[in-house]
Amino acid sequence: MIWEVFRQAKPGKYHQHCGNVHAPDREMAKLFAQIQHGRRMQTNSLWVVPQEEVSEVDSDEAAFGGATDKAYRWAMTYNRVDASFAAEVEESEEEQREAAKAQEEA
Amino acid sequence: MTPLEELLFRLADDEYVIAERYTEWQIYAPTIESDLALANIAQDEFGHARLWYDVLEERGYEEKDLLWERDPEDFRHSTLCELAFEEGDWADPVVRSYLYDTAERLRLEALVDSSEPAIAGRVGKLLSEENYHREHAQSWLERLAEGNESHHRVQAALDRLFPHALSIFEPGEQEKEIVSQGLRTESLDDLREEWFEITIPYLESLGLSVPEPEEVARPDARGRDGSHTADWFDLHESFTATYHELGFDQPTRLRGEGA
Repeated sequence: MIWEVFRQAKPGKYHQHCGNVHAPDREMAKLFAQIQHGRRMQTNSLWVVPQEEVSEVDSDEAAFGGATDKAYRWAMTYNRVDASFAAEVEESEEEQREAAKAQEEA
Repeated sequence: MTPLEELLFRLADDEYVIAERYTEWQIYAPTIESDLALANIAQDEFGHARLWYDVLEERGYEEKDLLWERDPEDFRHSTLCELAFEEGDWADPVVRSYLYDTAERLRLEALVDSSEPAIAGRVGKLLSEENYHREHAQSWLERLAEGNESHHRVQAALDRLFPHALSIFEPGEQEKEIVSQGLRTESLDDLREEWFEITIPYLESLGLSVPEPEEVARPDARGRDGSHTADWFDLHESFTATYHELGFDQPTRLRGEGA
């Protein structure tokens, strides 16, 4: 039986998939996962999950997005935009810069 | 040999020799996972041996005299650690590790308050690794004991190994001083009693029958006095062979080791 293993490096971080182990049952799976996936990398916690309990949707059956350009959804698209086309935006950015400067000087 | 040295040799030699045996399972264990788990345990035990040999080195011994050029008769490990495995019998390392690691925990706990700071200061590190060893051995034992053929194999391994495990608690010449100087805070007799109280009911709960400690035939070799089984002399020859073949006059050090 195959168990998928997810490792969390530090408290509060996500558990990330790191591989699997073969084991006859849950206890042995946890035991083996400790050595195989928790010994060499910094580890705070491991999740050990029976492979058949992991549900999957793949790109054959679902359209995951990304088919059209959705760059407008990303906040970073709006960095370093020339704001002169809209006076209120330019003003607002100027205010933010001054506030930041004042904070830095304080 | 001082009482402290006797105690350290018992500890270090046990760890070194059992680790040396465990490594024989590399690539032969039943699955990759169990291979890694036992290799990891062997590595831990080598590390523990290193900690104890280091204390001896701090007291003037040299590594070559501790391992590579020491007479096999001068080793003080229990005969449980040295026995060759029954070929291909996974029940053997499982039972061996259970008997050994249960004793190991008890003996480490009796060193936590050692009067020797070099011992007391090292025990915590070792104890934290021992939990895994016992958990591993017990998980396997419980599963092997459930099967039919595997149950017989576990029983056979227990019958074969138990008399040798008793030599873990065989006193050496300076046992009295080891206790009276507070190097170990419990006597070997007490440790053995505690070991019986844990191992016997547990093994019986798995449907195994445990040999009667006072009646079971004991091998002549007791390890602690330098008497050993023939298996030990073979093992000693094989692990020192490369050292002699290459004509080292000093053990090689790893880069960064001891730096």
